[in-house]
Amino acid sequence: MTTQSSYLDKKGLTMKDLVTIGIFTALFFVFELVGSLPFAPNPALTFYQPFGIALLCGPVFLLMVAKVPKRGTIAILGIINGIVWFALGMHWGMDLGYIIMGIAAEIVAGMKGYKNIKWNIAAYSLFCLGPAGVFVAYFFNPTAWAQTMLEKGTAQEYIDTMTATAPTGMLPLILLGTVIIAVISGLVGKKLLKKQFERAGVTEASL
Amino acid sequence: MSKEQSERRALGVLRMSDDWNYSMNGETVCNGLWIDPRTKIVILLLCVLSATMAPSMRYEMLLVLLIACFGIACRKVRYSIIGALVYAAVYFVTIAALKTHGSVQVMLVAFLGLVHKVYPCGILSGIIISTTKVGEFLSAMNRSHASRKIVIPVAVMLRYIPTVREDWRFIKDAMKMRDISPSLKSFLMHPGMTIECIYVPLMMAASKTADELTVASVTRGIENPKTRTSIVQIGFGIWDAVVTVCFLALFLVGQFCKGVF
Repeated sequence: MTTQSSYLDKKGLTMKDLVTIGIFTALFFVFELVGSLPFAPNPALTFYQPFGIALLCGPVFLLMVAKVPKRGTIAILGIINGIVWFALGMHWGMDLGYIIMGIAAEIVAGMKGYKNIKWNIAAYSLFCLGPAGVFVAYFFNPTAWAQTMLEKGTAQEYIDTMTATAPTGMLPLILLGTVIIAVISGLVGKKLLKKQFERAGVTEASL
Repeated sequence: MSKEQSERRALGVLRMSDDWNYSMNGETVCNGLWIDPRTKIVILLLCVLSATMAPSMRYEMLLVLLIACFGIACRKVRYSIIGALVYAAVYFVTIAALKTHGSVQVMLVAFLGLVHKVYPCGILSGIIISTTKVGEFLSAMNRSHASRKIVIPVAVMLRYIPTVREDWRFIKDAMKMRDISPSLKSFLMHPGMTIECIYVPLMMAASKTADELTVASVTRGIENPKTRTSIVQIGFGIWDAVVTVCFLALFLVGQFCKGVF
């Protein structure tokens, strides 16, 4: 693109970068929706919804970072995800999780200047922990979670069962599982980027 | 979606200005109660707070009813009534779920807890998104001095999501020619091929569109440092106050008169 040459010298995010971020955030969002669809409406699987998100979004995330390797890209992705999920009425834990993990991922990827694919994959797995924010909120205080539904009598029974079966192992399982799946997705994305996008000249070959 | 509109979409061209008159999910906005997009954000925030700190399920039912009334005022009659009825069904399912025992109860309660926290906000945001024009939204964001670094990507994203759906249909057709389908079976048969056939066209199209759209929007003067002007007029009116007071009142009642519910 010769027309953009004057913008390329500019430091920080240019208009082109912002538009690219917007487009890839849209794609990211669509994959997130598709990924969480089999999980979210199912009582037994709701808690594994971050798995679905982590599984599908890796290639999109890596290509976006490869196209806009600048400060702020991942943070903007996180903030927009937080805003959009908030606007769609999701729990605040998820929205806040996205924003916080977006900034954390930004710092991790930024340590190697957004060019090192291993660090980018690490950043992606951190980013995927964002949607688990809801479940962190749940495990932090499971009784308050159900407070609105519980009336006298059932409440005690619920708390008893909760402490007896105590799915305390579930939170680390969700977080660890999300990271592992995110790394797998990232590796697939790395392969795709190498095989298809570098050859087509969509990204620079310096990955 | 009207035929003309879908034909225009099928051209695969992103012409942002053409769609200024359509709402954020691509439908034509009907005339009903009109309130400022900024007020809508405030009531959504109040709704999230009310739903998160709701003292009881009866209170949440009231919240959903208020939202349904708001929806009906915005001429989203069918959507609002169905939304309220579905919530009533969820209400009874929850009562039944609380009668179960053991780990089944823990699982159901955890899940329904999420439903109860998310449902009112979800239905309200459905109403808001289908009654807000993209132009109005951008105008409001500009007035409230939101950072361009957020506003521009959000605007592009909202406009691009319907196009992804459109692209997806073409990609599925193209996949058939290679005997691949985006299903679990095909994924198990040839995983590499399926992954490539899904991601590569979508991401190629995305990066090409990003380039084109940049050129288009720079031509239209998006980099202009002066304040953005808009043909869409927005502003607060009496109804903004009325709606905000309604939601605020419900929130305060939930917080300070817990005994009532």
